[in-house]
Amino acid sequence: MECIITIEIGTGAIRIVAFDMEGNMLGSTKGSYPTFHAKPDYSEQDPEQIFITMLYLLKIFLNEKIHPKKHDVQCICFSSAMHSVLPIDKNGVPIGNAMVWSDNRAKKEADELKESPLGKELYYRTGTPIHAMSPLNKIVWLRNNDPGRFSAADKFLSIKTYILEQLTGEYVIDHSVASATGMMNIHTLTWDDDAVKYAGISKDKLADLATVFHIAGKLKPEYQASLRLHDRVKLIIGSSDGCMATLGAGVWGDGKATVTLEESGAIRVVGKEILQDEKQRLFNYLLAEGNYVSGGPTNNVGSVFEWYAKQFGDFNKVYELDDCIRNLINDAAKVPVGSCGLIFLPYLQGERAPMWNANARGVYFGLNIKHELQHLVRATIEGILYAFYSISKVLEEHRIIACLSANGTYASFPVWMQMMADIFDKPVNIKKNSGPDSVACGSYLVGATEMGLYKDLEHAAQKVKLQESYHPQEQNHKIYMKHYAVFESLSLKLHNEFEAIADLQHDY
Amino acid sequence: MNQYCLKKDCKELHAFPHIVEFAYKKVNAIQFDSLKKEVSAFLRFYYVIEGRFDWVIDDQVYILYPGDLAMILPGQSFGGEKDLLGIGTINWLHLKLKQFDRNGKMLMGKWSRLSDREANTLGRILSFNNTPVLSRLKEAGTIFQNMQNEFMNQEIGQTVRVNQLIDELLILSARHLTRQNNSRRDFPQIFMKLEQALRENLSHQWTLEEMAALVGLGNTAFSEKVKSYTGFSPLNYLINIRITEAIKLLKKPNVHVTDIALDVGFYSSQHFATTFKKLTGYTPSEFRKKHIPSSDENL
Repeated sequence: MECIITIEIGTGAIRIVAFDMEGNMLGSTKGSYPTFHAKPDYSEQDPEQIFITMLYLLKIFLNEKIHPKKHDVQCICFSSAMHSVLPIDKNGVPIGNAMVWSDNRAKKEADELKESPLGKELYYRTGTPIHAMSPLNKIVWLRNNDPGRFSAADKFLSIKTYILEQLTGEYVIDHSVASATGMMNIHTLTWDDDAVKYAGISKDKLADLATVFHIAGKLKPEYQASLRLHDRVKLIIGSSDGCMATLGAGVWGDGKATVTLEESGAIRVVGKEILQDEKQRLFNYLLAEGNYVSGGPTNNVGSVFEWYAKQFGDFNKVYELDDCIRNLINDAAKVPVGSCGLIFLPYLQGERAPMWNANARGVYFGLNIKHELQHLVRATIEGILYAFYSISKVLEEHRIIACLSANGTYASFPVWMQMMADIFDKPVNIKKNSGPDSVACGSYLVGATEMGLYKDLEHAAQKVKLQESYHPQEQNHKIYMKHYAVFESLSLKLHNEFEAIADLQHDY
Repeated sequence: MNQYCLKKDCKELHAFPHIVEFAYKKVNAIQFDSLKKEVSAFLRFYYVIEGRFDWVIDDQVYILYPGDLAMILPGQSFGGEKDLLGIGTINWLHLKLKQFDRNGKMLMGKWSRLSDREANTLGRILSFNNTPVLSRLKEAGTIFQNMQNEFMNQEIGQTVRVNQLIDELLILSARHLTRQNNSRRDFPQIFMKLEQALRENLSHQWTLEEMAALVGLGNTAFSEKVKSYTGFSPLNYLINIRITEAIKLLKKPNVHVTDIALDVGFYSSQHFATTFKKLTGYTPSEFRKKHIPSSDENL
């Protein structure tokens, strides 16, 4: 049987899924790699470790699940996290680790650019909010703070570009990942002269741009041999994890938005137009020519809930974090909507959309003598979801959103999903439990479209069937909105206090 | 009895050259300079029977209550806050080890029944966790009590019993240490620490038992956890790191392939070459040639 393999080079793990040509899952595997934090704002990953993890995992997966069943691999479609920067020398050897999406060391560089007239222009032209995550600012940081590494760099790659080069020898970056670098003009699909100049580099220091359907050269003979794959296997460059998750959640066209709830999260819409937000609160990434994924990311989803579970969860009865999390969510369901007037601002790791303030911090507000742990846990979930709602309100200044499609680890908890439906006052759809995740589905759809199985991505997106849905309850929505009003005004009001407390925390 | 103290060269310790000091002490009044800050080459245990003690270990202040055990590694500083011992009752034991360095290499000496490998693993656990105070460890108190009885009664088999009790104290401390540190079940964080330990000592021939002991889990539970977290069995994860580091070294033109093999923990260059080729399709030297055009083929 012919099959399509998808490889996600994710924020902390490689995920490999095999599909038959109709999109049924044949098998999957996952292997993780660490993120190193040499200093508080640093987040790095080792490109060689990512490469070996991918190669090793793929080899085991093919040998155990694919070759014995005589599945014939037609193509491999890639996706990856956004915003990574990896300098390599003239021999193509990495100079140190890659700076990944969550690396915040370029805060100062980002602030400087954001306040300049050029910042606003670049935001409109490149679609990437001016933020420390943006590779543009990361390269400027290298130039300012690590001149040795900066000048030794022959190229600045994304992690996916590096992995593909190892496999095929070609330096390419797809339009999706490139549209999140802050250096590609999303209107003309070329590297932006001003952005590249601002970074202090020339265009030949960046990889060649290509569509998400691009075939990234041939697998090197050595890897063909060790993986036992023939030379006709197409290596499709694919897109970013965010774009793939949106496509794979079946979100296309008017009225729909997708919500991803993993460690961090995002809410996104797909459309033909770029959303020009005056206050630069939204991103516009290119999914494929003429189709833009627009939306906003939040830093504080699973990471914050896991923090809560580790601090306040009861580990006397259960040993695994996952079990503890499940128990906490059950506890949350025992408390009324609104947590009896307790409000949580979830900004433990600063916040991106809509406030874009790295110095924002967490707050429990309104604690009274009657509140118990169950109120705290419910307020924590409500706060995390209010943050999503605050992004969606910005999106709705530009687009109508009638329903949501949710994905990611926390989308599998009915309690969360019902709360989301009630807060947003919109139906929430999720995919059925057993299937592959949305990123893999999106990658399959890109691969299958390249293979000619679908006319285009719009038709491909219709293939995704959503199952369970949660319907909003009017009564609950009204209560949530009263609480949200306090959440929103607190988030705005505390701006000066956030600065002051972040300053104090800087010394610890 | 307010005090029972044996020091090196006293007749009770003739059969125990590795014991520098063993003591039981009851303190009723503050005595100035009773516990001055001191760095020593010995492994020191202090067990609190009653009272409360404010001690400074490696420049950190700890408050100890009955049932708590302080463990000061060779080379760490230890003293009372304001140089005072405090008020209460304590036991202590100073032990001279054959070898101990901060990478965790520990050898006990002939008296111990622990194998060198086990001793090394224990040593690594002690230095890896760097937690000088073990809380609520009543069993340690029982061990001290039994040890004291052996010294006082001098019955047949005394040497064997005392040495066994010391082994037991070490094993107990190491096990308690890993359990205490992993009680929050934060596996990703625990795994990160393990990964760091592996990378720092990649040339060591790690066994499953050693890795499991380091994070305080049994072999089976450890293997399952690592597999579900990383996607690899512990030994395959180790190969993953080894090949990763090897690739980095192969891309540096001036390191010899044989050295790379041993540095990253393969037992021979043959073993390295086979594993490397199986995974990548290249032999190490082919890989180097493909990736650094200018590399010297003799290397």
